[in-house]
Amino acid sequence: MARYFYYHVIYVGMINVMLFVPWTLIQHRFNGAVSGMAIAIVFGTLISYLTISFILRFPGMGFAEIIRTYFSHGVTVVILILAAFIWFMAGMLVIYSYSATIQQFFNPDMNPYLFMLLMTLAGVWGASRCSRSVQFAHEIMMLLCTPLILMILFKAIFSPWLDWDAIRVTSGYIRTAPSFVSLCAATFVFAGYNTLGIFNRLLPAGAKIKYRWIIPLFCSFFLLVSFFIPIGFHGTVGVADYLYIWSITADSMIMEYGFVYRVLYIFLLLYTALSLMFAMNTWHTAMEFLKACHPKHKPKTEQFPAPAVNWWINLAFAILTFVYAFWTNEQRNQWVNQYWLITRTFVDITTTVLLGWIVFRGSRKKKKQPPIPRDAAVTDT
Amino acid sequence: MLEQIKNEFKNASDLLMDTLDNGYLRMELAYFPSLCDERIKDGLLVPFSYRFDPDEFRRMLHSNPKYQKQDKSEEWANLLLKGNVLLEIDGQCYSFKSDRTFVTEVGTTQVEASLQGPQSAFTEDINLNISLVRIRYNKSILTVKPFDKGSFSHTSIQVLYDSELVNENVLKMLFKQMENVNIDLLQASGQLVKELTDRSHRLFPTLLQTERPDRVAVMLRRGKIVILMNGSRFAIVLPVRLFDFMHAMDDDYESYWISRFLIIMRYMAVSLTVILPAVYIAIVSYNPEIFRVQLAFTIDGSRAGVPYPSFVEVFIMLFMIEALIEASIRLPRFVGSTATTVGGLILGQAAQQAGLVSSIMIIVTSVVAISNFVVPNPNFSQSVRLMKYPFVIIAMIYGISGVAVMFFAMIVYLCSLRSFGEPYLALFTPKNQMNSGHGKD
Repeated sequence: MARYFYYHVIYVGMINVMLFVPWTLIQHRFNGAVSGMAIAIVFGTLISYLTISFILRFPGMGFAEIIRTYFSHGVTVVILILAAFIWFMAGMLVIYSYSATIQQFFNPDMNPYLFMLLMTLAGVWGASRCSRSVQFAHEIMMLLCTPLILMILFKAIFSPWLDWDAIRVTSGYIRTAPSFVSLCAATFVFAGYNTLGIFNRLLPAGAKIKYRWIIPLFCSFFLLVSFFIPIGFHGTVGVADYLYIWSITADSMIMEYGFVYRVLYIFLLLYTALSLMFAMNTWHTAMEFLKACHPKHKPKTEQFPAPAVNWWINLAFAILTFVYAFWTNEQRNQWVNQYWLITRTFVDITTTVLLGWIVFRGSRKKKKQPPIPRDAAVTDT
Repeated sequence: MLEQIKNEFKNASDLLMDTLDNGYLRMELAYFPSLCDERIKDGLLVPFSYRFDPDEFRRMLHSNPKYQKQDKSEEWANLLLKGNVLLEIDGQCYSFKSDRTFVTEVGTTQVEASLQGPQSAFTEDINLNISLVRIRYNKSILTVKPFDKGSFSHTSIQVLYDSELVNENVLKMLFKQMENVNIDLLQASGQLVKELTDRSHRLFPTLLQTERPDRVAVMLRRGKIVILMNGSRFAIVLPVRLFDFMHAMDDDYESYWISRFLIIMRYMAVSLTVILPAVYIAIVSYNPEIFRVQLAFTIDGSRAGVPYPSFVEVFIMLFMIEALIEASIRLPRFVGSTATTVGGLILGQAAQQAGLVSSIMIIVTSVVAISNFVVPNPNFSQSVRLMKYPFVIIAMIYGISGVAVMFFAMIVYLCSLRSFGEPYLALFTPKNQMNSGHGKD
């Protein structure tokens, strides 16, 4: 069942467009984005490999259950609420930026909150399902999206309008010292492994996640594409003029045959699916973390129909999203995005360190009590 | 015995009660002539009357499996109503099974036609249906469990499954659900489906009804459970997945590539019928810039004479086509062609010439209608027919991006459905043991 894991890795790798990762990188393209990306590739791969191996030592347990075994209830709740907040923010930011994109490119004369209402409702609807349904839906949406993704990527890479010289010039800045923000932004592309925090509950005991080379390969590819392709289309300087940089880039391509002329629309349809998948996943995870705060919570991966608490938590998320939308504007949203990307990187590192420490403590305990069989020791700890 | 029966059936004038005496033996006899068939003559009356031999007659009573000792007097009424003959000899009561079977011939497929597959279909007689299944699934492990449901109709139900392949959890759930079935008159398998579905407001069927014995055999082989019901031409199969509804039996009989092609075409047709009216509204009223300029102009040109917004047009045409479909189902066969001719003519040419709808809309409507009938299963076809309306409404408000979001919501809905605890829409789950691998609870 490791394939479900890689779906998460792949679409989180692609959603970076909606979280202004390319925009952030491009702002720093002459002062540290390229070297930041190079470091992020190594760092992201390392941290994802580590976290995966740590979490796989606790078969069938989510992040909440793992930390609960080591920390007191109070500490667990604090950690979980922080984690839930970070996850919820991810979904909220994507929904906001996607609604703003749609408002700009699809329905310019529509009330901006109207489309956001639809997006949040779809997010609430998806996230309140049980984990297993969420996983199934991810797989199907992912497979439906694949042809569109491939088409846009190939159109972009083989486009005659793509200026490889601009790309070469920009990549020449690799010797500049890495900038911190672009390092954090680039690390986000590798963040898909974090979904194991919930979906490890669904992995059967003894499951192995094979083919881990997919993570560095695909995520580096997405990272490079989302940074360099816009530069190739708009030039090294002109590229900084745009905020919704990838929508503009997609609009630089046309399809000669078929009903639809501008690739932009295909791109936007694809990102409807990706944004909703991302929102569904992040809100679902945040919801599960919040549910796990209850001291007697027993995680269930299969629930039909969805319990009422799922609805309430997700409705609260939706309301918070609207509150955010009332407060924010383009500048504030940029700012929140940047700080979210930075915070997220630190939370990721903390998570890995925490898990590593728990695993380390567990293995020391195991050495002290050798008679316990291996499997039992792992599940006990 | 007769006294008691008389008390229970006070006003049943069609009940025949008599005391026969052939000189050696007195026999009290009660049965409904309308419920019993001619077998009573050879099986009971002839041996009792002019071919009478006391020893042989007693031997027959004890050895013929059609005769059963009936000591419990409270079951007599039920036995009579099920087409048994009750007789009492020397104070001992026997029943003789002589229920009339109306159907003796195998039916032909009417709803799920097949080009070159078997043409036989289930009938309204449960015994014939079981034999149809047994002939195809010729194994000793095929288990048949009887039930009796409907407090007034006492419809006999048989649950069939392969005892080695069946999923025990599903079986337990089914039996639990069977106990909750609370219905007066059980006359069609659809009623049973409704009762067995844990939530009745579902947009998609989660139990498969089929009239094809070959499909039932295939399903049994996959470890599914089949429910046969007396008086219904349709067997109920559970648990099922969405793909089972989209699967025609011909797919198994055609060569590999042909069947792949047909399956892909069917899924394309379903997505067309669901989203095409919505996309039409979205393109015409919201986002004409999506299409290349020439196409956008063509569409807009065809709408030049139409005086109202596109969704009114869509609702007019969809209403007409739904009414036409409904009329052609309800109309008697001889009048049926009238509806299609009138409908086809008026919907096709006249509506467009009168400037009520655009010619593109006519094409959209016909694509929607034709694609809808590509679905092999009538239940699923109805669900698909209904699904286009939420899309139309969302397209009215949000345009094409709303349609995309709605499509996502539909996929999530389908993925969240369960058919007896088994996932309804999930890819690549192993065929026999859908629970293995994930979902450990």
